[in-house]
Amino acid sequence: MNFPILSFIIFFPLVGAFFLLFINREKENLIKSVALFVTLIIFIASLFLYFNFNSNLTQPQFKEYSKWLGYGINYYVGIDGISLFLVLLTTLLMPVTILFSWGSIKEKIKEYMIFMLMLETGILGVFLALNLFLFYVFWEAMLIPMYFLIGIWGGKRRIYATIKFVIYTMLGSFLMLVAIFVLYSVYYRATGVFSFDIFDYYNLILNPKLQTWLFLAFSLSFAIKVPIFPFHTWLPDAHVEAPTAGSVILAGVLLKMGIYGFLRFAFPLFPDALFKFMPILVILSIIGIIYGGLMALIQKDIKSLVAYSSVSHLGLIMLAILALKTEAVEGGIYQMINHGLSTGALFLIVGFLYDRAHTRMISDFGGVSKKMPIFSAFFIIVILSSIGFPGLNGFIGEFLCLIGIFKANKLWAILGTTTVILSVAYLLWMFQRVMQGPIKNERILKFKDLNLREIIVFVPILFLIFWLGIAPGTLLRKMDKSVDYLLKKVKKTEELFSSHQFLKKGEDNAFRK
Amino acid sequence: MLSENNILSIFPISLIVFFSLLILILEVFQNQKRRNYSGYISLIALIITSIFTFFLWNKKFSYFDKSLILDNFALLFFFLFYISLALIILLSLKYIELQNMNYGEYFSLLLLSLAGMMIVVSSNDILVILLGLEVFSLANYVLAGLKLGDLMSSESAIKYFLLGALASAFLIYGIAFLYGVSDSTKIDKIVYSFSSNNNLLVLIGFGLFLIGMSFKIALVPFHVWTPDVYQGAPTPITALFSVAPKATGFAVLIRIFDDLWPGRISENVIFWSLWVIAVLTMIVGNLVALRQRNIKRILAYSSIAHAGYMLIALLVKDYKSLLFYLVIYLFMNIGAFAVVAGMSKRRGEYLDLEEYSGIGFKYPWLGATLSVFLISLAGFPPTAGFLAKFYIFSSAVRNNLIGLTIIGVLCSLISVFYYLRIIIYMYMKPEIPGVKVEVENPPLFLVLFICLLGVVQLGIFPGNVLYFINQAISSLNTF
Repeated sequence: MNFPILSFIIFFPLVGAFFLLFINREKENLIKSVALFVTLIIFIASLFLYFNFNSNLTQPQFKEYSKWLGYGINYYVGIDGISLFLVLLTTLLMPVTILFSWGSIKEKIKEYMIFMLMLETGILGVFLALNLFLFYVFWEAMLIPMYFLIGIWGGKRRIYATIKFVIYTMLGSFLMLVAIFVLYSVYYRATGVFSFDIFDYYNLILNPKLQTWLFLAFSLSFAIKVPIFPFHTWLPDAHVEAPTAGSVILAGVLLKMGIYGFLRFAFPLFPDALFKFMPILVILSIIGIIYGGLMALIQKDIKSLVAYSSVSHLGLIMLAILALKTEAVEGGIYQMINHGLSTGALFLIVGFLYDRAHTRMISDFGGVSKKMPIFSAFFIIVILSSIGFPGLNGFIGEFLCLIGIFKANKLWAILGTTTVILSVAYLLWMFQRVMQGPIKNERILKFKDLNLREIIVFVPILFLIFWLGIAPGTLLRKMDKSVDYLLKKVKKTEELFSSHQFLKKGEDNAFRK
Repeated sequence: MLSENNILSIFPISLIVFFSLLILILEVFQNQKRRNYSGYISLIALIITSIFTFFLWNKKFSYFDKSLILDNFALLFFFLFYISLALIILLSLKYIELQNMNYGEYFSLLLLSLAGMMIVVSSNDILVILLGLEVFSLANYVLAGLKLGDLMSSESAIKYFLLGALASAFLIYGIAFLYGVSDSTKIDKIVYSFSSNNNLLVLIGFGLFLIGMSFKIALVPFHVWTPDVYQGAPTPITALFSVAPKATGFAVLIRIFDDLWPGRISENVIFWSLWVIAVLTMIVGNLVALRQRNIKRILAYSSIAHAGYMLIALLVKDYKSLLFYLVIYLFMNIGAFAVVAGMSKRRGEYLDLEEYSGIGFKYPWLGATLSVFLISLAGFPPTAGFLAKFYIFSSAVRNNLIGLTIIGVLCSLISVFYYLRIIIYMYMKPEIPGVKVEVENPPLFLVLFICLLGVVQLGIFPGNVLYFINQAISSLNTF
């Protein structure tokens, strides 16, 4: 294939953003249309990727490689079975959120759309980069538009939330940067070649002590992003204060970058350290599951309820990938897509309610379904998807996760199942208080049901909720090879490690296989 | 290659001095009303000299018995100075008019300061270095106080002068020791004696010399003059102070360190004292910046912190990264100060953070460009500031200075906070009524555009600059 489709996907939004700079800010409709058009083009391009994806290859496809700065810093992108779906999720959610923002963002539209497009470039770059330098560039660059999105269009405590978000994330990523440097120099000492390519690093065998430190640095960065239990405090703040589109992208895609980071970097690069820290990570994930669920139960604000539910759901995904069984990892990836869809949709729902009522307190609502029947139907479907109702997407994902976890360890599975129970409790209870019962106050009487634009926003998500529930194989078969390759990588290194342990220690003994 | 005693080698410096004096003379005959053409004359001077300097590239000249050496290394610094001077002159055109300052001596002194710096970076003799330092420092002291009738400006000049004189005293004292031991004022000979007889006198001499240089570069604990001087001086001059003396200081240090510690980094006293100074500089610069409310003081402390990062590169002898950092630092820092200088009204400036509230939407270009420069200073990719830090930290790790690197990255984490705080004011707070900026300032936008181009282009495709830097560094070792 001659056309650099991945580069097109990554950089076209940036081109669009640049183009938007020169449009007069008065022409709001033109600005919105251009942004929507750009994101739709990207979505179509990513569908092309999906249909042309060869599911028999383990290695990344559509690779593009070119020299950039030298010393191992190259432009290297590619897509495999793990990143494919995260890319699709991103490119789908982007037009959806832009269409949502059509009516709900009233001021400074131009800057808003520019930042959204920049954000898309950053996110796609993270998922597609195969060079660690390139990955880091996108990983960090993505923070800036998010910082502005939360800080300018957010709620009352937006400044606090956005600074907390940036500082937290950067704390992790700066330490990861040091770890990347260490990896880089170890690789150079071992082979005499400068390289930042991930697949070159896969061939490194590092001594366990070094792995421990590197794993900690990488994991901290990813754990903050996921977020794993004690590092989650930025999430409710950021989610609650962010504008709806920001929350959707944050929950739908950004949190997955942490899991993706674990799968792509932390696990295959540092398997020995992974096995060493496995118990701690498992315990933290389980705490996250239960704590997130319990916190969600007591929230008074719908948005922070959804935010805490993310903590709980991502705990399960984390537990699944820690199980290192094919079913569980595939389930985890599947669940990432599901969570992106259902939690994204939940944030949209909160957004719809907020646009109408200008409040998010559960106690202010009641009986909304009488005034908004279509909305109510969408709402319940999304909730059922989120709690894993059979026939919908969430069921497949949770089922696969739990089967895999069960195979790995029965106790983990038992504790992990609480996520299902808790999510039923907090989501349905919330639904009951908001949508059913008598109409609580007069403002609700004035609520209008969803208009055509708002319905269009929902349709693709609902379609996928059903389709992923009915035909999971179409997705799972595409990720089989990549997941197998990854797990083989982790396990094989484990076997090698046991014999390697007896070699002399010291960081110089890193060598190529 | 080296052509000795070639008169060409002092030609760029003489040219600058000539123009500087020319402006002073023309000043006498000038019409009081239309005087800013001295600014244009100085720009022309820079252009002529830089064209001339360009033809000297890759040739090597020396003069005065190798006291003055024009190798690529010196020429690279010349270009660095030309660019920053040109940007600052463009910046000053409107600023001087608004603040009612005098044109003639301003531009004349700027060029004199440039001549001094050129002498320093092209010198291989510590006495000549001292001479150059005095020339540019004296010009700078006066420049700091040029805002007539402004007490802050006068205070700044006096402070700068007193502490600068103290620093010079240290330098001279150090030079006396070094000369006493090595019987020479040439850097290579001094360094040779340093490695051959590692005695206390050399160490004292070298230490005093370093203290003097640290004053110029503003390294902690020799930084105390920086915030006050930066705050009081006219803003374009502050921009100059934040870039040029640092570059000069590092040029001298590179020339000395290049011969020091052959091969591996040795564990000597000077290495470790510089290590400590680097850590202190980064920590103090960044932490104190957190508490500032005046934007010039924030940028002052940030410039201290940046000197700390550059010191890391010096410690691992990675001059390529150091020079690259300096080039990028030039663009992002002058860019940031350019916006601050642009935020001025007739007879006054907006310097308090509160006054920046909401300007991101009121003056979109000022807000957007300042944001880009701040993001670059904070080291976010894909701006050049990231690449600059990336190179420095990666070579620090390659040289096993992992502890220093971790301190460095944590300090840049702190810096993210105060850089982003300025952006918060600009974009996330409602604007204050009464803030009215003189926006009709085409040279300012030219400066912003050039700096923006530098920050963005060097962050993504720094190829050419790296090529020149490599040539400059390889010229260092070929005596």
